[in-house]
Order: sequence, then structure tokens, then C-alpha cells
Amino acid sequence: MKNYLKIPYLLVLLALSVVVFLFFRINSNHKDTSKNQSISAPQLVHLFVTNEVAANTIYKSKLVEVEGVVKKVNFLNGRITVFLNGVSTSSVLCDMTKSQLKVAKKLKKDQKVKLKGVCKGFLNDVIMLNCTLINSKHQ
Amino acid sequence: MNKIIALLFLLVNFSNLKIASTQLTTNQGQVSFFSYTSVENIEAKNNQVLSVVDLSKNEIAISMLMNAFVFKKALMQEHFNESYIESDLYPKAVFEGEILDFDPTVTTPQIKLIKGILTMRGIAKEVEVKTNITMENNAYVFTGTFDLVVKDFDINIPPLLVPNIAKTIAAKFRFEYPTDEK
Repeated sequence: MKNYLKIPYLLVLLALSVVVFLFFRINSNHKDTSKNQSISAPQLVHLFVTNEVAANTIYKSKLVEVEGVVKKVNFLNGRITVFLNGVSTSSVLCDMTKSQLKVAKKLKKDQKVKLKGVCKGFLNDVIMLNCTLINSKHQ
Repeated sequence: MNKIIALLFLLVNFSNLKIASTQLTTNQGQVSFFSYTSVENIEAKNNQVLSVVDLSKNEIAISMLMNAFVFKKALMQEHFNESYIESDLYPKAVFEGEILDFDPTVTTPQIKLIKGILTMRGIAKEVEVKTNITMENNAYVFTGTFDLVVKDFDINIPPLLVPNIAKTIAAKFRFEYPTDEK
């Protein structure tokens, strides 16, 4: 086969290699991040209190699964907010989606829950938006 | 002797209580802003604003995460964070000020002026805000509106999008400080 005839085959092979490489890279990253982003509420608060910059690098704008104990639930300003016990006066503040109204109303103080949402950063609490409950059980 | 110790104990605890109760905090303050133009209206709300009021000094401090503003359209939120506010570089906006002539013992509604410094995108600006202060369900409630000039905070808007964004942004706030919460 002449050299110029090989070029399309080589290009196809190259394109396939790129696709396969990207596929594995995206999937491996996804696995790594999902593994890192499941954490307990006190641990998450502790990370932000001790090193906010480092914690932001890992958690900010990421989907995070948080396991913790309900401190309080309120419905201020038409929002559904679940607070999870953190460290000292700092909690994990979870702003729930509207679909969570029924389940949020049933939550009790000291109940162990697991929820997921997008971490936005830290003020006095770790702020999480678009939260949904994954499961819950009474202690 | 025992009576003196008991009195001292009471005095110490009372003074601690007094100091503690003069600082009221909310972590669910609400700040929203509106941009009205003939092309489109843009509105965003942040429901997780932190604020502390010191009733003994009539001082107020506010801190908010800029990426916690929620827009109706995801693309607007993306432009706000990435192009205009650059929330990765400037994640927080902070306000520190004084509530002029505020009397915390008054339980009827009061309209007061708050004077202070607003820092956003690393730029500090003097701001005067009129606030309505009421007592509702054992909580001081501060509400009000104020205007922000986009140019003051060095926000770069691409020429193509200039007609879409108002030169002056109307902001609105509501802070509820419970007096009976630790």
C-alpha cells in the first residue's frame, strides 16, 4: 500500500485513540471526585474552619454527599433549610429543593440523615444549595 | 462569705448573659437584586447571607457568598459568576456599618440610616442605606432597598450585552435576628 493511502487510516486510528483516552480520563476523574466528595458534616465543617482555601479547592461548586445529624429544620423566607451539626457553632446549612418539602417536614432534631447538594463555600456555616435527602434513619 | 460568692457568681453570669445577648446573628439573611432594562429583566436571590448586629455598639456586619446568588436562568448565573463578579477571585461581598440613632429597646417600627463600607470585587465603597426595623416574633427584622452603580465596582460588561444590564442595580434585603437563639 502506498504511503498516501495510509493517511486516512492513521487519522481514523488517531481519532479513535483520542476518543478512548478522553473517555477513560473523564470516567476516572468522575470516580475519583465522587469518592472524595462523600463526607460527614462535622468533618466538612472542620476542613473549612481549618483551611478554607484548601476546602474550597476540593468542595466548592461540587456535588457533595454529606452525612450528619439534624440540628434544626426551618422554613424561613419560604425556603426549606436543614442544619446539620458541625463543629462548635458552625453547621452545614442545606437549602433543600422544593420537592423535599414533605420529607423535610418529617425530619426530627438528632435524626441521622444523608443528603446531597452543591457546596457553595463557607461563611459561619458550610453553605449547600439544591439539596435532596438520600436516606434518613432515627438514631 | 457564701453570700458574697453567690452574688459574685450571679453578677458574672448576668454580665456574660448581657454581653452574649447584645450580639444577634442570622445565617439566613436574604439579599436580592434586580436589573431592569427594555431588553430583559434579571433577578437573583441569596438566602444564606450571614449578618451580626451588635446592639450595644449599634454596629452591623454582613457577609455573603457571591456564588450563592440564584438566578432563574442558569446561563445568567454563569455569566454573573464567571464574567461580571468573578466569584472565584472575589468569593465574598462584605458590609460593615453603623446604625445611626438606633434604640434597640424600642419595640415599635423604626426607620434608621445605616452608614458603612461595602466591599465587593475587592473594591470598597461608602454606602448609606435606609432600613426599616421592626420586632416580629422575638426577632429584630431589618428590611430595605438600595441602589448599586455597576461602574463603581469595576464590572466589565461586554459591549454586546450593555443594553441587557441596567447601569444601576436595585438591591433588596431582609435580615431576621432572633433574640432567643444561641
